Amino acid sequence: MDIAQILANALVRAAELGLLAVGLTMVFDILKFTNFAHADYAILGAFLVYTFNCGAGLNLFLSVFLAAVAAGLIAVAIDKAIFKGFRKKGTKSVTAMITSLGIAIALRNIVRMIWTSESRTYAIPIQRPLRILGARITPVQIGILITSLVAMIGFHLLLQRTKFGKALRAISDNRVLASACAIDSEKMIQWMWFLATAFGVVGGTMIAMEHLLYPRLGFDILIPIFCAAILGGIGNPYGAMLGALVLALAENVILALDFGHILSFGGLFELGSIQIKTGYKPAISFVILVIVLLLRPTGILGRK
Amino acid sequence: MTTINFLIYLLTMIGIYGFLSLSLNFQVGFTGLINFGQVAFFAIGAYTSSLLVCKAGAPVILGFLGGMLLSGLFGYLISIPTKSLKSDYWAIATLAGGEVIRLIALNEGWLTEGAFGVMRIPQPFRALFSMDTYPLFYLILVLVCLAIAYIILSLLSNSPFGRDLKAIRDEEELSLSLGKNTRKLKIEAMIVAGMVAGLGGALFAHYITYISPENFRPIETFLMWAMIIVGGRGNHLGAIVGAVTIQLFNVSTRFIGAYLPFTPGFMAALRMVIIGMLIVAFLVFRPDGLVKERKKIYRFKNDDGEVD
Repeated sequence: MDIAQILANALVRAAELGLLAVGLTMVFDILKFTNFAHADYAILGAFLVYTFNCGAGLNLFLSVFLAAVAAGLIAVAIDKAIFKGFRKKGTKSVTAMITSLGIAIALRNIVRMIWTSESRTYAIPIQRPLRILGARITPVQIGILITSLVAMIGFHLLLQRTKFGKALRAISDNRVLASACAIDSEKMIQWMWFLATAFGVVGGTMIAMEHLLYPRLGFDILIPIFCAAILGGIGNPYGAMLGALVLALAENVILALDFGHILSFGGLFELGSIQIKTGYKPAISFVILVIVLLLRPTGILGRK
Repeated sequence: MTTINFLIYLLTMIGIYGFLSLSLNFQVGFTGLINFGQVAFFAIGAYTSSLLVCKAGAPVILGFLGGMLLSGLFGYLISIPTKSLKSDYWAIATLAGGEVIRLIALNEGWLTEGAFGVMRIPQPFRALFSMDTYPLFYLILVLVCLAIAYIILSLLSNSPFGRDLKAIRDEEELSLSLGKNTRKLKIEAMIVAGMVAGLGGALFAHYITYISPENFRPIETFLMWAMIIVGGRGNHLGAIVGAVTIQLFNVSTRFIGAYLPFTPGFMAALRMVIIGMLIVAFLVFRPDGLVKERKKIYRFKNDDGEVD
């Protein structure tokens, strides 16, 4: 397999995972608990995109926008109904984490009730891949790369250049102190949920666009998202983007490597071809996750 | 299926899941270890026992013991990183670890028959009973084993060992400062929990006589979580009450579904929506569960003879 193709595939995967990992890491940063429902919010959104796009016949971009807003509002509503009470009572973060698992199960199965377990595809015509620097890339993948890049630059500007971003960072550092500076932390937390989920919907839709859309997709992408977020240092949005890139590269390189060639020191003796079965692709992010957790639990960039 | 057969089936499944919720409760409710990969023990117990019996020709009792041992070994392995990992991270790692066990069962067809699954798993003492009486015998076997597990776990949790575990759950730093080897205690707790759940897996495999990776999806872990959250953590009775409640709901709705105008897929999804909402509702409104843990408070008299 040639290097250009591996790089191209890895970039696309990183573009998708990155948007999801940023949302997960934001929730952790502000609320200090791991949200196991994050991927399921995203997939609920991706199914809304499907309905707007294929059911109502709306344009794909408009569908994604509407679905992101809708899913964002659902996340805010769930926060108001459940997590707000936890914050008031000072419930342990472990309880919030287990609750998010319950929410994830409920959401995933609500999706199954409405849209059934069938796999679906968006109304995108099959396109002939383009050749760029020797790698085959479809126009959809180029769209994914551009969208993700724009979203991440937008996120960066929002975080660093606006009053909103400043307030959000203040809450992340010290919620009590931020409240003393007249920052309405509850309102900011709602905005954070909205943004994190909206980003997730965009990422989830892109993953579904490239492969298939089915209710269990949320669970299938959960471990890679966790891996990307932890790899970059959980709570650090830039780390999440970097983590997504590193993970995507690792996934694609490991599957392409011929371990027989490496173990025989470049063909010094005969070992034959040893490749990792593609059935183990989901396990790669797990193995990387465990190695990172054991060797450097603060991630590549560390906690900010 | 007659009513009596259905009741026996229901009770047997409750009994089998009783092992899994007892084991999960021992980890979560007693030691404070958040394991989201509980299904891994179930799978290891089931696969080890059925492969030992089907492929290696071992007697069923050896299969059961092998399943327990390997599952306990897995408990030992996954408990090693608890030393250095925050509970969130460990929870994520166990969730992924459970999936990896299923992927191995799915991909290593030479050993596990892959997606086809292991078929015709022999049942213990099958020849001694007729078609009609065997399910009753198996139910009694499951319940006797469950009772033994319950008693052993109760003895353990009332011993100094159990009190040390609860100390880890409530104040890990404090028990460390009192010179407790919390690392060793956690490892021991995970081995015990792994063996109990592994036995549950083995009993499951030899009961339904056919297992495939589909039986060990993460959703099973979430069912077990629903059991200990509804039943209540930190006491063994709660785990059993939870297993009864959730299994009663889970199995009976399968049969009620036949009389409702919904597709089986819709019913299955609806069932899981309710389970997910139960988890959330209990954590919000009744975090102690149905059976509240009775915390023993030890009081000591001070020098003046007053109770502190």
